[in-house]
Parts: sequence; C-alpha cells; structure tokens
Amino acid sequence: MADLVLKRLDAQFASPIILASGPAGFGVELAPALDLPRIGAITTKTITIEPRTGNDQPRLVDCPSGALNSIGLENPGIDAFARLAHSQMRELPLRRILSLAATSPGEMETLAVKAAKLSGFDAIELNLSCPNIGGKITGADASAVREYVRAAVGVTSIPVLVKLPGDTGNLLNSSESALSVGAAGLTLINSVRGLRIDWTTGRPFLSRTYGGLSGPAILPVSLARVFEARSAFPEAVIIGTGGVSDLGSAIEMLMAGADFIGIGFGLMVDPELPQKLAVELDKWLDEREMVSVQEIIGLAHSGGFDVH
Amino acid sequence: MGVRVEEKKLMNNGVTHSGSRFFWQQAQLIDRRTSERYARVLLRGPELPSDVAVGQFVLVRYSDDPCLPRAFSVMSSSDLGLELFVKTAGRVREKFRTAPMGTVFEVRGPYGTPYADKISLDRKYILVGGGSGAAPLLHFRRQYPNHVAGEVYGFRTEDACGLLNEIELTVESTTGLRAHEQLRSIWRPGLGILACGPEPMLRLLAQEYRQQPDVYVSLEARIGCGVGTCLGCSIHTSTGMQRICKEGPLFALEELPWLI
Ligand SMILES: Cc1cc2nc3c(=O)[nH]c(=O)nc-3n(C[C@H](O)[C@H](O)[C@H](O)COP(=O)(O)O)c2cc1C
Ligand code: FES
Repeated sequence: MADLVLKRLDAQFASPIILASGPAGFGVELAPALDLPRIGAITTKTITIEPRTGNDQPRLVDCPSGALNSIGLENPGIDAFARLAHSQMRELPLRRILSLAATSPGEMETLAVKAAKLSGFDAIELNLSCPNIGGKITGADASAVREYVRAAVGVTSIPVLVKLPGDTGNLLNSSESALSVGAAGLTLINSVRGLRIDWTTGRPFLSRTYGGLSGPAILPVSLARVFEARSAFPEAVIIGTGGVSDLGSAIEMLMAGADFIGIGFGLMVDPELPQKLAVELDKWLDEREMVSVQEIIGLAHSGGFDVH
Repeated sequence: MGVRVEEKKLMNNGVTHSGSRFFWQQAQLIDRRTSERYARVLLRGPELPSDVAVGQFVLVRYSDDPCLPRAFSVMSSSDLGLELFVKTAGRVREKFRTAPMGTVFEVRGPYGTPYADKISLDRKYILVGGGSGAAPLLHFRRQYPNHVAGEVYGFRTEDACGLLNEIELTVESTTGLRAHEQLRSIWRPGLGILACGPEPMLRLLAQEYRQQPDVYVSLEARIGCGVGTCLGCSIHTSTGMQRICKEGPLFALEELPWLI
C-alpha cells in the first residue's frame, strides 16, 4: 500500500485529493457517500460577509466535456455559517479549508477576523477569481491581490491560500504578489469564463449570459497554469484544480507540480469519484513499486520517469 | 488492508449500503415504446431503487459521459424496474429512442422530496400534466387513487396517445384546448391541484389559481449534483432560496411569487 499521506501547511493530509470549493457545499449532505478517511480535505463553498442569494436560474448548462455554471456565490454569510453549518461540518472526520470572498481588502479583513474565530479549519482559501459575480476579477490584478492577501494574513494564524483565475491577468505576477505578503500557497484554477447560446431561441442559456467552464474541457488550461506556477515557485503549496475526472488526469496534475488535486465538476457528476481516485492512485503507485505519492509530484519538471 | 476492501467495493460498482443512492448504478434498457417525440422506457438493474416515492426523480447518464446527467421523474418503480416517460430530444434522451434493447445506462438516485411529504393528504387533487410532466402524476394516481378528483394531460399532438393508454390525453391540435383551459371545466372549490409540465403551462395555471389553496407545481432545472450541494438548482421562494433537487421538485404556488 503506497503512502498517499502528505505533510503540508503544518498539517498531515490523508491523501492529495481535495474537494474543491462549491460542488461539495459544506460536505454535510455528501458525507454518507464519501470515504472520508481517504480524502485529503474539503473546501467549503465560498462564504461572504453577508448572505448571498446568488444568480437567477438557469445556473447550469451542459458543454462538451464539462458544464458552465453561474451560481453567483450563493451562501448563508459568515454569521449564519458559524451558527448553523459549522458545527455539523466540524463533525466530519477530515481536514477542512474555509473559502472566503470579499469585495474590498477592508471587507476581507473583517471577514477573516470572523473566520479566525471558527475552529476546525486547517487553511483559509481566498477566492479571488469567481467569474460569476460581475465586476473585476481581483485575482487578475496583482496589486489588488497583494492587498487582499495582506488583509487576511494579518488577522489569522492559519495558512492562507489564494485561488486565482486561469484565464485572465498575469498568473505569475498575481502569485508572486500573494506569496510575497505571506500566502502559503495557490489554488489554480477557478472555472474559466464561457458562454453558450441556445441556437433555437438565439438567447444565451444562462441568466447572466456568461458562466464558468469546469470539467475535463479545462484540464489542459489548469495543467499549464500549475506547471508554470510550479516552475516559478518551487516552495509554494499548490492545489491543482480544473478538469480532473479520472486517474490519468489526477496523475497528470501531480506530475505538473500540484501537491493536491482539487475536484469540482467531477464530484458534482459522480460523488464517488474522490474515493475512486484515492484507491486507484494507491494501486497505480503500488504497481510501479513507488512508496509515496511524493515521488510523482512535479515529475514532469525533471524529465519524467527514468526509462532505462 | 482498507485498500482491498475498497477495491472489492469498486468491482462491485462501488456500491456501499449507506452511499448507494449517491452512486451510479447500472441499468439495462429492457422495454421501450416510442412515438415520434416520446419514449416510455423500463430500466432494470440489481442495484436500482425499487421503492422510489411519488415525485422523486433519478439522474441518468449514458456510459461515462463527462457531461451533466439528465434528471427524470419516475413514473413507476418496483422489482420489475424503473419506468420513465421522456421526451426524446437531447443527448441522453435521444439515446432512449435509438439504443438497442439491453443497452446499459447508469442511474443514481432517487432524489427530491416525495409529494406526500409536501401536500396535505386530507383532500383530493386534480392532476395537470403537460408533455413528459405526466410521468410523476401517473405515479401519483397509481399510489394514491383515492386522492385523485380529476386529471388533465395536455399534449400538443396526438403523438403520445399510444404510449399512455391508461389515461386520456387532451390533445391541443385536435381539441384546440390547452391543459389549463380543460382544467376550468373540472376544477371546483375545495379541490387541490398538482401540476407538472413546461413553465409556460405552469405560469398560465398559476395566474388563474393563485388565490386558491393547495395548488402545487413541480419545477424543473438543469441538475448538477442532485443531492443538494452544488446549488445549481436553487430558486427564489417566499421563504428564501430552496433547491429543486432537495426541498423540491414540488412547491406550493404561494412559495413562488415569481411564477404568478
Ligand atoms: C457548481 C460549481 C460551484 C462552484 N463554486 C465555487 C465557489 O463557491 N468558490 C470557488 O472558489 N470556486 C467554485 N467553483 C469552482 C471550482 O472550485 C473549481 O475551481 C473549478 O470548477 C475547476 O475545477 P473542476 O473542473 O474540477 O470543476 C465552483 C464550480 C462549480 C462547478
Ligand atoms: S442539483 Fe446540486 S444542489 Fe440541486
């Protein structure tokens, strides 16, 4: 049995498989379906300071090898989360990452102060890249990234991760900004802005016209971002998220340099996927007589397997 | 050690007891009748649920399709299999028409709140279906025959008549009447309404019966997870956001001010 355990962010994670922010909600409904001891961590749905009702229907539309979503950060707000979902979530025997979004650095600080009072989280993930709420995408602006990260890092003692967009802005500049003011790592990437039109009516499918593309369709995009970021920041913790749907794509993500693999769309379509991946990854490593998943992280940067 | 147990589970198509309704189960197409636009299909598989409550739905996909699954209300469920009545347009749905008998689909569910948990069973209802919206209502009439005071099933053409011989259809192209118009002739105060069909039909009905108590409509949306976590199916209601896949698909009309 190969070792899937990873020590990162001052903690030990059971496997590199992480439930990405959004499709898993707060994990509570899914708990009976998940083999929790095999899952590295769950990331909460992004939480904001005030409750948000999100966008109007339709919020989802099919795409070849994926889907566009336009949820619009529907969430109960940090206070209701603290009252209601937090205690249920704390009972789940796995590591937890708290995803936060705000509309200004000042609001991010207020939010992070509240978040810091919630026990049971191993990291905070700043969602600076939601494509479905209108306005500018903070993660595309390196100086804004610095301000948001500084605001959060200053008021919490747990590691701060930054979730960046894969399709807009200069990823390396934004990452550099985040890491230079104390971010511990990067979550790459959020869903990619896209559009579908109902050609029988001539109207966009989604209520807000655009949505975020996720699923296998974006795998090459997320792999490229993770690979670039790993080259530039050898020390940063990276959660590679985008299009992982099977063992092969999960291994690719690790080889590109991700420490962890985020699963969004894949979980939404198949709640069993995270544990299937953990089991299959374990078996695959065993078959190759590798003792730890560590051996393949970043492998594509160092010439791949030795084939002699 | 744990790994081996897990592998067995996987070989067994991943079925664990507590999680089975979350997992894809294999289902063979074992019976089908089709018309130009509709198909009535029976799916059977050893792990398929046989006790789906009236109003619940299942998700169906064709092999490991990396797209969103499709949601279908269940028309009947028993040891014989799951019966669905679908409009054959779109990827999964067209497969129901063209796939050879014995083709394996994948099904997960059931999801959604049973009608019986949402409506009061101390009165009778008129069932109003439009197109494939007839499916859950046929389930209802079979399970709760004593709660049915009348039925209207609207279809644009007579296409589906041969598939649904247990009921009488209101065919717009021959009668010139639409479902909500037909409803006028049978509804009377004291009766509730259970409606399932396309949104324009529900809107017309909502405008006419908005003052009445016990009017319920079943809503549709593209479903993502089906289990209440992705919020792809959230809608505004008078008591806040609710999920079609979890609190729904049936809602009381007064919960949906935007429909009126
Ligand atoms: C339905 C849905 C909801 C999402 N909600 C969030 C969210 O609240 N916060 C966030 O940071 N990312 C959110 N995402 C983005 C995912 O976490 C992920 O970054 C993206 O979908 C790419 O990964 P995937 O291809 O595995 O889905 C959401 C994605 C989906 C499909
Ligand atoms: S489809 Fe995911 S919450 Fe309803």
